[in-house]
Amino acid sequence: MTKWYRENAPITAENLTDEWMRLKRGSVTRRHFLGVTGLGLATAVLARQPGLFNSAAYAQDLGTTMSLATWPNYHDPATFEAFTAATGVAVEVNVFGSNEEMLAKLQAGGTGWDLFVPTNYTISTYVKLGLIDPLDMSKLPAFSQASQSARFTSEGAIDAKTYALPKNWGTTGMAVNTSKIKTKITSWKDFFEVAMTEADGRAMVHDYQLTTIGSALVSLGYSFNSIKPEELAKAEELLIKVKPHLYGINSDYQPGMRATDAWMTMCWTNDGAQLNRDMPEIAYILGTDGGEIWTDFYAIPKSAANKPAGYALLDYLMTPANAVKEHIANGAPTTDSRVLALLPADVTSNKIVYPDEASLTKLEFGAAVTLTDPARAELMARFKSA
Amino acid sequence: MTAASANDIEFRSVTKRYGSVTAVTDINLTVPKGAFVALLGPSGCGKTTCLRMIGGFEQPSEGTVLIDGREMNGVPPYRRAVNMVFQHYALFPHFDVEQNVAYGLKQARPKLASSEISARARQALEMVRLGGFEKRRIHEMSGGQQQRVALARAIVNKPSVLLLDEPLAALDKKLRTAMQIELQTLQRELGITFVLVTHDQEEALSMSDMVCVMNAGRIVQMAKPQDVYDKPADLFVADFVGKTNRIMATVEADGATLRLSNGTALPAGSGLKPGVATVALRPEAIELARQAGRDGGVLAGTVTHRIFLGSTAEYQISVDGLGDFLVTADRRSVQESDLVEPGERVVLTFDPGKVHVFPA
Amino acid sequence: MPLAPDRKRQLTTAALVAPAGLWLFVFLVLPFMAMVVFAFGERAPEGGYQAAFTFAQFANLPSRAAAFWNTLMIAPIGAFLCLIVAYPVAYYLAIKSNPKYRLVLVSLVVVPFWTSLLVRTYAWMYILGSRGIPNLLGMIGIEDVRLLNTPGAVLLGIVYGYLPLMIMPIYVSLEKLDRRLLEASADLGAKPVSTFFGVTLPLSLPGVMTGVALVTILLLGEYLIPQLLGGGKVFFIGNALVDLFLQSRNWPFGSAIAVTLVVVVVIVLSVAMRIAWKVSGSRQVDLV
Repeated sequence: MTKWYRENAPITAENLTDEWMRLKRGSVTRRHFLGVTGLGLATAVLARQPGLFNSAAYAQDLGTTMSLATWPNYHDPATFEAFTAATGVAVEVNVFGSNEEMLAKLQAGGTGWDLFVPTNYTISTYVKLGLIDPLDMSKLPAFSQASQSARFTSEGAIDAKTYALPKNWGTTGMAVNTSKIKTKITSWKDFFEVAMTEADGRAMVHDYQLTTIGSALVSLGYSFNSIKPEELAKAEELLIKVKPHLYGINSDYQPGMRATDAWMTMCWTNDGAQLNRDMPEIAYILGTDGGEIWTDFYAIPKSAANKPAGYALLDYLMTPANAVKEHIANGAPTTDSRVLALLPADVTSNKIVYPDEASLTKLEFGAAVTLTDPARAELMARFKSA
Repeated sequence: MTAASANDIEFRSVTKRYGSVTAVTDINLTVPKGAFVALLGPSGCGKTTCLRMIGGFEQPSEGTVLIDGREMNGVPPYRRAVNMVFQHYALFPHFDVEQNVAYGLKQARPKLASSEISARARQALEMVRLGGFEKRRIHEMSGGQQQRVALARAIVNKPSVLLLDEPLAALDKKLRTAMQIELQTLQRELGITFVLVTHDQEEALSMSDMVCVMNAGRIVQMAKPQDVYDKPADLFVADFVGKTNRIMATVEADGATLRLSNGTALPAGSGLKPGVATVALRPEAIELARQAGRDGGVLAGTVTHRIFLGSTAEYQISVDGLGDFLVTADRRSVQESDLVEPGERVVLTFDPGKVHVFPA
Repeated sequence: MPLAPDRKRQLTTAALVAPAGLWLFVFLVLPFMAMVVFAFGERAPEGGYQAAFTFAQFANLPSRAAAFWNTLMIAPIGAFLCLIVAYPVAYYLAIKSNPKYRLVLVSLVVVPFWTSLLVRTYAWMYILGSRGIPNLLGMIGIEDVRLLNTPGAVLLGIVYGYLPLMIMPIYVSLEKLDRRLLEASADLGAKPVSTFFGVTLPLSLPGVMTGVALVTILLLGEYLIPQLLGGGKVFFIGNALVDLFLQSRNWPFGSAIAVTLVVVVVIVLSVAMRIAWKVSGSRQVDLV
């Protein structure tokens, strides 16, 4: 998924996610997706219609619309339908390709978002820049700190104040088409080697400094989050050496993998689960030498136009009965034991989604410094223009 | 063909159709070497189509066009020894005057030396009296000058036939007259065949030594200019070439008496087919005299308009029983006073031999 | 008292120009001035702009030299390829096609513009992707051909995307061309090839230059096609700007690059126009 057409997609939340699910399963073409979503046009109107006259339990001060900034293919369409039916508030969804882009938009101002989905390592920066406020927990009765795993939620709180609540966690691994690549790949070191040999012209890395530079660092035995100049220089050398052999530098790797134009890619948990479900020959592998583990959070921007609705949707999403549908839909693992208990066994037994604890030990959470470090941004630019 | 043909151009039963529209039908035409032929006719008569078939821009649907005795069907324009002066000249706007004229020379294979090209281009420009204008750009030239550039460009390749498509149509009257003389002079100097297309009968009559009058895709008459004027082949030619008065009449049973529709009887030439006919009479064949104190005269009428032209005057006269007549009077032929005034009664006399009778 | 006629005409002209002038000022001049100001500032620690006066951003320009180089190479090459493909099409439309169907044929050239370039480029992703042409090649025994994410695919996308912009001005200049000039050329003994190079081509140069200028300028800002058909491996100024503003949030450096690009475009264009005037012998180049 590339980033430019995610912005302000003028389509109802239901349709967008619905079409996305169909697209990702390969039942519609990309072109159809673009056609039905009418990307590039004005704002969504249809979503607002059903909610106009049936607001029920919630107070009237929720208004009739709200705006959510999130990731593609990350929600169950039914969730927003049900929320609209219950509250009369229609949800406008904006999808993004990177945390950097979300931050850039919030820094520039005028987003109109009432709720958004930042990843763990960015939250401290949002707080520092004063872009988000501590959450008023009294408005979020459905959230239960007790049932959360502290490992995934800790970065949502700063100085004992909670700024963000966890949506789900996940990993950044490798998706490998085993019918095309016979070499056994177990580490990031393997990944970059095979990219230059057996998978020459068929491997993809993300158009994303955190994971691309991070994974290169890991393959060289350094920390995923390193900003040490000499280690970054080594990573840069490796990336520039690999570049001519790459199929693409693109975070939208599902189409290429599904078409078998690409045989191997950096991959996030939920995409890995979807690819593997539809094409069992595509394996999802965590690096034995390390890699990223992450949590996505919900936060409310200070500039939100409709905070009551933002809180209402957040509380709705924290309700286990609602959250479980979300997790079945997007395939990412939950941080909440109440939700885990409700999930069907075939989801919880999926080793892609819920890997063995041992395989997670070497993974690192992204560090805030990588978000703002100019050296990594410049390295990425040199890599891409090389 | 081994021996050189006496004719530069020959049309043999040429018909040209555009889809369902027939532009020219069964044209047979020979243009002897060194002739100045004018194709004359109203717009749409097919004269330009004939010219374009000589140039090679159109191919006959049927029949053959020959140039210098050789069949030209299917031969493209750039392989024909004819050149054309186009209507509105079609000069190349991105070249200067000399480059325009030299264009044809530059196409020669083997290539000519650039000094020769330049010398010949300048020579051609001298011939049309444009020496010194070599480096001017086309849009800096007047209409008459552009006309000369077009001429120079067309003659520089020394064609055996020069085609002229309405060459003077865009010029004002004075310039046109001057150019008519120049074209005749040029033709004599070059000694090549000129084929001129025009709708202007005066232009055709004044310049050419052979006029080919066309109408509705056919050749109606081909003759020397004075014969076309004096002995028009039919009513169309009589009407189109020069001015004419038309009178409805009947040829009596004896074949020698003509009765005009107002009852006036005239002696006519012999051998006419009895029956209805149209009589054509040139305005200048009529003599005009004041009726006062006179008898005789063939026709009588009243002057309605007078147009004074200097040496002559044109009168519109309402002739009793026959309607409006046009009369061109030499001022000396009008007796007693120079000019007859509108409203005056006049008598019209003419030599019955100058009457042309066309059976209906 | 009534206004003097020329005073009145001045006012009328001013009234007619004002909306466009205001539009240009608010949406072109002001943003450009803001960009110039940003270009001399510095990046705030967490990204964005921080007031300063420094030439550091311009001094850093060599770090994007590759992007500048790629852009300045691909723009004229892409425009030239467009020209090679567009000219015969325009020539056919303007000179050879049946006038009865000309309007329909010309419309067909324009119709793709009714769909967004993004969607049309995605269509190419599928045609060039493994399920497209490589799949067909696989059927005749040529396996695992990769067309997508290659420089060839980028050039194809560029030629495809910008073709109508090249065809239309050339078509217009050829359509205006007086057919009798071609006949005159043939009449003077020029074979069709000589007529083309001696008359047709020089007289259609204004259209050619307009098309080349249009396509070149737009290509200088292109980033979508290399991203989609080149797999993000080809890095243009456009891509550099997107990354600087949306990823590393380095507004001052992004502004410095954008300002530099504008300057480069102005220089390149004025040189190109000067050459065109010289060649065509007139100042008929429609863009300037």
